[in-house]
Amino acid sequence: MKKTLTILFAIGFLFVSLELAQVEKPSDLKFPPLKYEPPDPKDFRTEFANGLRGYIQEDHSLPLFNISAIINFGKLYVSRDKLGLDSIMSETLIKGGTKTREGSEIEERINFIGGSFSFRAGERISTLSLSVLREDFEEGLELFFDVLMNPEFREASLNLAKASLIQDLRQANDQPSGVLSREYERLLYDEHPLTWQPIKTSYEGITGTDLKAAHSKYFFPKNIILAASGDFNKAALKAKINKMVAGWKNKSLKIPSFSKKFPQPEPGVYFIEKRINQGYVSLGHLGIEDTNPDYFAVQVMNFILGGGSFSSRITMKVRSDEGLSYNQGSRFRYRWGFPGTFSGYVQTKSSTVGYAIFLIMDEFNRIRRERVTEDEMDTAINYYLESFSNSFESPQSTMTTFANLDMTGRPMNYYKTYRGKIKAVTKARIQEVANKYIHPDKAVIMIVGDFEPCNKGGVKWPGPLEKLGKMHRINLKDPLTGEELK
Amino acid sequence: MKRTLVLIFILIAFASLAVSAEIKLDVKEHVLSNGLKILMIQKPGVPRVVCHIYFKVGSINERPGITGLAHLHEHMMFKGTKMMGVTDFVKDNALNKRIDELIDKIYREKFWKSDGGDNEKIAQWQKEYEELVKEEKQYIIKDDLWTYYMKNGGTGLNASTGNESTGYYVTLPSNKVELQMLLESDRMLNAYFREFYSEKDVVMEERRLSENRPGYLFNEQVNAAFYAASPYHWGVIGWMDDLRKVTKTDLIKFHDRYYVPNNAVAIYVGDLDPQNIIQMAEKYFGRVPKGTDIEPIRTFEPPQYSEKRMYGEGPAPTSLQMMFHTPQEDHHDVAALSVLANVLGSGGSGGRGRFRGRGGGGGFGRLYKILVQEKQMAVSVSARNRAQWYVGAFQFNARPRLDKNVKPEDLEKEIWAIIEEIKKEGVTPEEIQQVKNRSKAMFIRSLSRAAGLARSIGRAELNRGWRSLLTDLDDMKNVTNEDIKRVAAEYFVKDNRLTAIYTRKMARRQGRRR
Repeated sequence: MKKTLTILFAIGFLFVSLELAQVEKPSDLKFPPLKYEPPDPKDFRTEFANGLRGYIQEDHSLPLFNISAIINFGKLYVSRDKLGLDSIMSETLIKGGTKTREGSEIEERINFIGGSFSFRAGERISTLSLSVLREDFEEGLELFFDVLMNPEFREASLNLAKASLIQDLRQANDQPSGVLSREYERLLYDEHPLTWQPIKTSYEGITGTDLKAAHSKYFFPKNIILAASGDFNKAALKAKINKMVAGWKNKSLKIPSFSKKFPQPEPGVYFIEKRINQGYVSLGHLGIEDTNPDYFAVQVMNFILGGGSFSSRITMKVRSDEGLSYNQGSRFRYRWGFPGTFSGYVQTKSSTVGYAIFLIMDEFNRIRRERVTEDEMDTAINYYLESFSNSFESPQSTMTTFANLDMTGRPMNYYKTYRGKIKAVTKARIQEVANKYIHPDKAVIMIVGDFEPCNKGGVKWPGPLEKLGKMHRINLKDPLTGEELK
Repeated sequence: MKRTLVLIFILIAFASLAVSAEIKLDVKEHVLSNGLKILMIQKPGVPRVVCHIYFKVGSINERPGITGLAHLHEHMMFKGTKMMGVTDFVKDNALNKRIDELIDKIYREKFWKSDGGDNEKIAQWQKEYEELVKEEKQYIIKDDLWTYYMKNGGTGLNASTGNESTGYYVTLPSNKVELQMLLESDRMLNAYFREFYSEKDVVMEERRLSENRPGYLFNEQVNAAFYAASPYHWGVIGWMDDLRKVTKTDLIKFHDRYYVPNNAVAIYVGDLDPQNIIQMAEKYFGRVPKGTDIEPIRTFEPPQYSEKRMYGEGPAPTSLQMMFHTPQEDHHDVAALSVLANVLGSGGSGGRGRFRGRGGGGGFGRLYKILVQEKQMAVSVSARNRAQWYVGAFQFNARPRLDKNVKPEDLEKEIWAIIEEIKKEGVTPEEIQQVKNRSKAMFIRSLSRAAGLARSIGRAELNRGWRSLLTDLDDMKNVTNEDIKRVAAEYFVKDNRLTAIYTRKMARRQGRRR
C-alpha cells in the first residue's frame, strides 16, 4: 500500500517537473490562468428586526465568532461646546458599564474567556468589535448588545478617561509626524469641524449625561450596520439578534449640516520650528471625494507618481537615486462626504529638505506635462488587477468592508465593477486627471524642523527656502489651552 | 538518476500534524538536500499564497564596527542581482569596481586619519565618484525586483530585520508562486550590491527618523546599559558611526556567510498544492549551494551583580521602566514568567520573543487595577516578559499621573510592593486560569491571519522548531502558583535590575545635529 502511494506521488512529481520549463529570467515565466470573482454583498446582506441590517458570513474554518457594529456617529457630529466627547466615548463605552453590569465585570468576563472587545469613534463612523471563541458565542453576543444598546458611562470610568486624555494632550506637540498631519489639515480645511481640537477644559466639561444623550441620538437600529463572521449558524444568529433588538426604538436621524467650502490657503512655505535633525514635509492641497467618477484614474495616476512605493517615481527619484530619505511618496486621502487631501511627503535630513521638495515638485509637474510610459501603466494597472482578491482574504474584514460601503452610500456593485474601471484607465486619462487634480502653483509646503539648517540647504540645493515660495512661520498652540505658544 | 532523486525527496517530505492538548496545526515539511527547509500550510479561501523566507541572521550576528549591517544588507537585497536590475552586467560590474576603489580611498582618507584627511583630495574623489554613479545609471533598471512583484499582484511586499532573524515577504496570486521562488533563489545566489553608498544614506535617514521619535535615544541607551556584553547591546539599526564606515567588503562577507540555504526556512501559507511547491522549490532553491555550518553566538549576558539606575530628560512622556534579566526562550522558567507577566498586565503591544503579544491587556491586569483604577497613581502600567533566543528581560513600564503630582519613583515603590506580595502569596487560581484561556484564544485567533501565521511559524522554526509554538501553550497550562512564587523570588532582585526614570522636558535638544 505504502509503495503504491509512493509511486503515485513520484509520477505526480515527474509530471509537474515536465511542466516547469528551464527559466532564466522572470519574463520567461508562464503562469497558468486564474479566475477570481469577488464575493457579492447581496449574498451576505441580512435584515434584522427594527430595520437593523448586516453582512453575515458563516465561516467554519476556525472555532471563532466575530461581530462588529458600524455606527453612523463620530467626532464630526459633536458640537463645538462638547469637543472631545467622541474620545471620551471611545474610552468609556465599554469601561463605563451598562444598566445591569459594571464596566469591570464586562472587562473581567471578556478577559477570562480570552475575548477581545473594543470601541473606537472615528470621524463619522464608529465601530464596536467583539471576537470570542465559538464556545463563548452566547455570552459574547449578549455582552456585545448590552454595551451597544445600554451603556451607562459611569462616573469613575469618565474620570479615568479624562485624566488619561488630558495627559495625552500634554504630548500633542511632541511627535513631529503628529504635529505635521494635524497642522497640514488645519491649513487646508481652515476653521471647520474637521479641524477642531479639544483642549483641557473641553474634556473636563463632558458629563455622563452628554454621553448618554449622544448615544441615544445616534445609536439606533437603522443607523447601525452589523458585520459578523465565524463558526455559527446564520439562522440561529439572526433569531438571537432579533430577540435582543426587539425593543430597540428607532429615532429620526439628525446630522448637523457642514460647509463644504474651504478657502484656498496662500501658496508658499509654512514652517513649524522643532529642534530635530530632519525636516518632516507635506506639500499639496485638497484632493477629491472617493465618489468622484475620476477616482479610479486618480488612483492609477497616484500609483505612478508616488503611491506605488518602489514602483513609483517619487520613491525612485528621492530614495533610490538620491538616497535622501527612507520614507517618501504621494497620497490622496479620502473622507466620507468631503474632499480629502493630496500630498507629497518626505522626511529628510535638514540640509536636503529643500532639495527633496524641489524633486517632488518636479515630479508633480512632470506627470502633468508628459504622458506616463507603457511600462508604468502596465505595472500600475496589473498591480490593481492582480492584487484584487487580497481585499477579501478575511471573511470578517470583507463583511466590514461591505457594511462600510453600505453605510457611506457607495454603490454595492463597487467591487464587481472595480477591475473594469481600473482597466479602462488610459495614459491620456492619467495626464488629464493629473492636470485636473494636481496644482503645484496652489500647493502649500509645510515643514516641521530646525529652521536654520533647513533654510541653509546643501550643495545640490542651497537655500533659502523662500525660493520655494513665500515663507510663513507658524506658532503652535498650547494643546492644553488652545492659546498660541510664545 | 532523476527518478532516484524524486524518490529520495518523497521520503524526506512528510505531512506533519502537531497537536497541543486542544489545538492542532497542520504544517507540511520538506527539506532540500542543501539544507533549506520548506514549510507549507494549506489555507483555502482566496486564491493567494503568502510566501516568506527567513534567514537565521540578525543584529546579534554583528560585532562592533559593523553594527546595523544585517539590516543594511536586507535593504541591499532589493538593489538587484547579476540578473535583475541591470541591462548590461559586464559593463555595470566594471563601473562598480571603479566606484568601490574610489570609495575605499575616500574612507581611508576620511575615517582612518585622525584629522579627517585631506579635504581637497576627498572632494576630488567625491566628484569622480558622482560622475561614475551618473554613468552607471544607464545600466540600472530601478527597483526591478519590487516592480516585478508589484505588477504580478504582490502585496505585503516587504522585509524586516530583527535581533535574531531576517525575513523577506510577499503575497502572490496562487498561480504565481514560481515568481517568488525564482526571485528569492536568485538573490541568494546572485546578489549584487549596486547603489550601496546611496542606500547607506537611506538607512542613515531611517536612523534619524527613529532619533526624532521622542524617547528613542534614551531607550537606546537603556538597552545598551541593560545588555552589557551580549550582542543585544546594540539596536538593529546600528550605531551611526558604523553605518557611515561600513564597507562593501563587510557586506559581501556577511552575505556569503549567512545567506545560505542551510541557514534559512521558506514558508508558504494559502491556497496551495504542497507537491507543486516542493517541485518548484527543488528546481529554484535546489540550485543554491549549501554553505558552511554557522556557529551560534558566543557571548551570552553575564550576571549583572549590581543594580543599575539611569535618568534622562527630553520630549517623551514622564515614565518609569524597570527591567530584570530573565532566561532565554528555551528555559523551563519562561512559561511561569510569561503567566506572571500576563497576570500583572501585559501592555498589549507584545514583544518579539516567546509568548509574545499574548494575554493580559494593560486594561485588565493586576497592576492596572491597583495603580490606575484604585490608587489612581498611574495613567498606564504594563508588564511583559520578553524571552529571546539567547537572553530575556522582564519589563515593567508605567506613566505617573502628573495631575496628582505622582513621581516615577512613587510608582517604583508601588510596583516593588506588588512584587514582594507575589513572592509571598503568588497569584490567584482565577488569574492563572484567565491567562491560560487567553493564550489559547489568542493562538486560535492568530491562525486566521495567513501572513501573521507564516511569520510566527517561520521565526519559531529557525530556533526551536515550529512545534515549539504548541509546546509553549502546553507549558503555560502546566504552570502552578508555586512556580510563580519561585520565579518571582529568583528574578525580581535588585542586583538583577535596571531602573530607568525619564522626565519630560521640552527645552532640551534631542541629540546632536548630524
